[in-house]
Amino acid sequence: MKKRFLALAMATTLVAGCLTGCGKDDNDSKDSKDSTAATETQKSDSDSDTTQASSGTNSDAVSNLIAATDGTVSLTVWASEEDQVFTQGLIDEFAKQYPDVTFDIKLGACSEADAKDTVLTDIEAAADVFTFADDQMNELVNAGALQEVASTYTYDVKAETLAGAVEAASMNGKLYAYPMTADNGYFLYYDSSVFSESDVESLDKMLEVADAAGKQVAMEVSGAWYNYSFFKGAGYDVTLNDDGVTNSCTWNADGATDVAQAIIDIGKSSAFLNAGDADIVTGITEGKIAAAVSGTWNADTIKAAWGDGYAATKLPTYTVAGKQVQMASFSGYKLVGVNSHSKNVGWAMILAEFLTNEENQIARFNARSLGPANAKAAASSDVQSNPAIAALAKQADYAVPQRVGGNYWEPANTLGLTLISGNPDGTDLQTLLDNAVEGITAPVQ
Amino acid sequence: MAKTKKIIGSIISHIFLAILVVIWLIPILWLVVTAFSGYPGINKAHFFPTSWSLDNFKKIFLHPDSVVQYMTWFKNTLVIAIFTCIISTIFVLMVSYAFSCMRFKGRKKIMTFSLILNMFPGVLSMIAVYFVMKSIGLTNSHLGMIIVYSAGSGLGYLIVKGFMDTIPASLREAAKVEGASEFTIFLKVVIPLCKPIIVYQIISSFLIPWGDFVLAKLMLNSGISSDWTVAIGLYNMLNRSLVNNYFSVFCAGGLLVSIPISILFIIMQKYYVEGVTGGSVKG
Amino acid sequence: MREKKSNPLKYFADFGKAVVKGDAGVKCSLLFMGAGYTFKGQWLKGIFVTLIEIAFIIMCIFYAAPNLAKFGTLGTVQREAVFDPLTMQQTVNDYDNSFLILLNSIIALFLIVCFILFYIYNIKAVYELQQQKKFGKHIDSNKETVKSIIGKKFHITLLTLPAIGVVLMNVIPIFVLIAIAFTNYDQNHMPPNSLLDWVGFSNFKKLFTEGMGNYFGYAFRKILGWTLTWAVLATLTTFIGGILLAMLINKKTTKLPKMWRSLFIVAIAVPQFVTLLLVRNFFGDQGIVNTICSNIGLTDWLKHIGLVSAHLNYIPFLTDPHWAKFMIVIINIWVGIPYQMLIATGVLMNIPTDQLESARIDGASKWKIFWKITMPYVLFIQGPALITDFVKNINNFNVIYLLTQDVYITPDQALANANAKEVDLLVTWLFRLTNEYYNYKMASVIGIIVFIICAVFTIISFSKLIAGDREEEYQ
Repeated sequence: MKKRFLALAMATTLVAGCLTGCGKDDNDSKDSKDSTAATETQKSDSDSDTTQASSGTNSDAVSNLIAATDGTVSLTVWASEEDQVFTQGLIDEFAKQYPDVTFDIKLGACSEADAKDTVLTDIEAAADVFTFADDQMNELVNAGALQEVASTYTYDVKAETLAGAVEAASMNGKLYAYPMTADNGYFLYYDSSVFSESDVESLDKMLEVADAAGKQVAMEVSGAWYNYSFFKGAGYDVTLNDDGVTNSCTWNADGATDVAQAIIDIGKSSAFLNAGDADIVTGITEGKIAAAVSGTWNADTIKAAWGDGYAATKLPTYTVAGKQVQMASFSGYKLVGVNSHSKNVGWAMILAEFLTNEENQIARFNARSLGPANAKAAASSDVQSNPAIAALAKQADYAVPQRVGGNYWEPANTLGLTLISGNPDGTDLQTLLDNAVEGITAPVQ
Repeated sequence: MAKTKKIIGSIISHIFLAILVVIWLIPILWLVVTAFSGYPGINKAHFFPTSWSLDNFKKIFLHPDSVVQYMTWFKNTLVIAIFTCIISTIFVLMVSYAFSCMRFKGRKKIMTFSLILNMFPGVLSMIAVYFVMKSIGLTNSHLGMIIVYSAGSGLGYLIVKGFMDTIPASLREAAKVEGASEFTIFLKVVIPLCKPIIVYQIISSFLIPWGDFVLAKLMLNSGISSDWTVAIGLYNMLNRSLVNNYFSVFCAGGLLVSIPISILFIIMQKYYVEGVTGGSVKG
Repeated sequence: MREKKSNPLKYFADFGKAVVKGDAGVKCSLLFMGAGYTFKGQWLKGIFVTLIEIAFIIMCIFYAAPNLAKFGTLGTVQREAVFDPLTMQQTVNDYDNSFLILLNSIIALFLIVCFILFYIYNIKAVYELQQQKKFGKHIDSNKETVKSIIGKKFHITLLTLPAIGVVLMNVIPIFVLIAIAFTNYDQNHMPPNSLLDWVGFSNFKKLFTEGMGNYFGYAFRKILGWTLTWAVLATLTTFIGGILLAMLINKKTTKLPKMWRSLFIVAIAVPQFVTLLLVRNFFGDQGIVNTICSNIGLTDWLKHIGLVSAHLNYIPFLTDPHWAKFMIVIINIWVGIPYQMLIATGVLMNIPTDQLESARIDGASKWKIFWKITMPYVLFIQGPALITDFVKNINNFNVIYLLTQDVYITPDQALANANAKEVDLLVTWLFRLTNEYYNYKMASVIGIIVFIICAVFTIISFSKLIAGDREEEYQ
């Protein structure tokens, strides 16, 4: 194992060579590039490089890269199925921007929700540039699948992007991906013909109103992604440890049983429905459900069902031991990542930047109604007038990036199910929470 | 009296059969009506759709988009299925002949060993298969899929061998006396007698690529959806972000796959029954 | 026909004898494998064998040696990539990919073992040739050797290609799986970016012990129990159901038997994953069946008699552990009976009619005929197939996975902690462990256990069929 450190032997002369090379014209830098290529196994001092280059953008590097590129640049891009047409348009435009370079860019379909599964099975076979939901960040980084965004070239990702999105795209202070959209979290949809704006402030009120109207309020409490809301809202957290795989969890701390009891109480209401995504959509189209916690991916269907009544806002408050507590949430971002095993890392990074720059985030919003992660684009009045995206923005104050290890999901699913079904076995709540926390914090076995 | 009793009994059994058929066909009926539904998502509350339309089929045949490239998938699957079924059938016949009609050292040991290997579920070794195929550069290719589906098929020799066991050895002996080589006997004597079981083998190996989505998804992982098989394509439509817009297309796609297979099955029914039981009945 | 019991000692003794007593041809064959044949005039065979030897040596030098050298450690150089922001080029060190080392080493070892066996066989064959010549027996000419590949040695010709396929698709993957069970291949150690290490039997220990935050033992026990229960239930229900249905259709009074059969076949012609996913939505908590059941009052009635817990307003067909298990078996009957019906139809057609006739003349009741004649006959014929079905059901991935994935949440915290569910079979558990949790090491251990279970049942069921002389009966 010691040997691996030997491989880090660094050739400082190379760095010097590169630095001088960049200042000169294209021809010279090409020479210096050739020498880099010749010394493939040699290492340059990465630390000093990154600190120098990460401040601001560096357009010289792009011309270096263009000069150093000969032959066709082959890249594969994965975008979700719904985004294929739009992304293909961007790719064509990207190729036009660099007329001196021949590109062969293939576009594949891979849903953001399970990009991780495909990428991690075989990183080397995965696309050079792929989109994914930010909940997969830690696993992708952990497996070394993502190229660190050590330096930016066409725009400054950190400066131009919403702070939350940058946080979601970073691990241990390093940026690993390019935020593309800021709309992958969840919030509350409600039918304004049933609920007033003040009704949706609190869940209790909502259940009361819904009961009177013979309608239901739906949320997938048996889903770990959603039931986090209750615990985090009341101040009980689950976080990823430094190893990037295991969790720390305080869901069994003092007073957490009140949260558990609160969920049980919510479940007792006949107006509350614990239902999965598909069931929620069906319930809404059937007119049974008048409010639901869900995300932008259902916006069109819900809008069609409720028509003028369609409205959205942040999550409501709920009652814990007599007090109103604001429900928290996982924020959700879609990110563009560059495969660390890409053969054309440089071009892949530039393409990833292109796919996520301000102009194209606005275009993406216009074409696909996907909420931008770019700060300026997100602030535009067009974006803000989209109810779903505005609701997400409201919820953003209570939302945290999703940084949990794989062992979180199943135990938290089970806990949510047990509680919302009213704790059918009558297990002591503290024991219930202790067991769940033991599972959530278990080491990878 | 006895006659009326018989008639009543017959009526009862027919009614009973009819009820069973209804139970068996309800999900299929749901598949059919949903395929013609105007609502794209899962209609969970009604059996029959509230609005009818041919949009799903239009999408499949006339307006393929990035999610629905059904005709391409169908073509891919058909090609894979045809080659898989040719290779598997040949392999199985070869292995069966060797085990059934020839006697050599270690035969029984190899047979038992093969049986055990055949019991090993593919799901377990998928990832290793993937890397083996990757190291010979055959992932993301239809040739690779054909190999994956057919290479191990020799292990499924049992039923065909059972059938061959029922062919009287005297036939082969007679041919041998006339100076025929084993190869000639295999080709000219045994194979023509194995018609029903060959049909059975063809059907079963032809069906594999149509139903497999786990292995196919792993092997065809470039994300280029025009490379997919029908199974991956359809399964993909059930993705969280797609299902509410593509469920009825999924049903239409499922329906279209099943039509040729049903016809194949019904036509070959006789051979299938004869083949699958021929081996076990007598052997 | 007679197969000698082989004795491993004798195997090597024969080899030793061949080496010691062999003539110059045999001795030369120790170095140049084809020499012995060539000296005896079989130069074609000689060249062929020598070519194999040369190919093997090349393989050893360029493939086996570099991989096997690292097999003990599974590689020592971790991947280090350095990106130069100014030239936008990435330099990567010459790292070790543990998984590829493992895979290639296993392929190499396999080839080496095969070669050694071939080598020994070759020396013995050359020695035999020497003996043949000594006793003046006929020695095949080159032409005859070629001819034997479609004659005496035709089985080798027949089996070679399928065997290569099996080695590639089955044998090597199984060895890889076994090897992974002894490594730490999990989420913390994922090649190519990190290295694997050998960990001995610790993964096995984890699966067979409980407590101390280790839930695998508990989950394994539970899932194994359900896997076996399921396999028995699934096999018996579809088997008996298939026979009954076939008898119903085959009854002389039944009109249009072919039509009835075809209608059932339609149900199996739709790919399984389509029908199962449909059925899953059909029986969803808010699905059609639930809508109907609550409209006709069945839901309330079930609540009343306590089969559905009081706080629910639907029947948890696929979400409650007991209901889900019940429904899975029922749905499997739906899936499996048409197949079994087809098979049973064939079997019943061949039932010896004289026995049935004589029983009928004796005045035996239909019931009695079924239990005393039909069933024993069918069991006799279908016995081995029944056990094959049993093993197949142990590994019935599709039915369980498609019906419960994304729908079923376990209420048992201890199972959830091991990423398992009550309704999981060993295979589906294993699949989810790899697919969702990248826990290849535990999945491999489970895989080995599944394999052992299946192998035992297979050997039991087929030792009769193969070892007995049944196959000779009709020839």
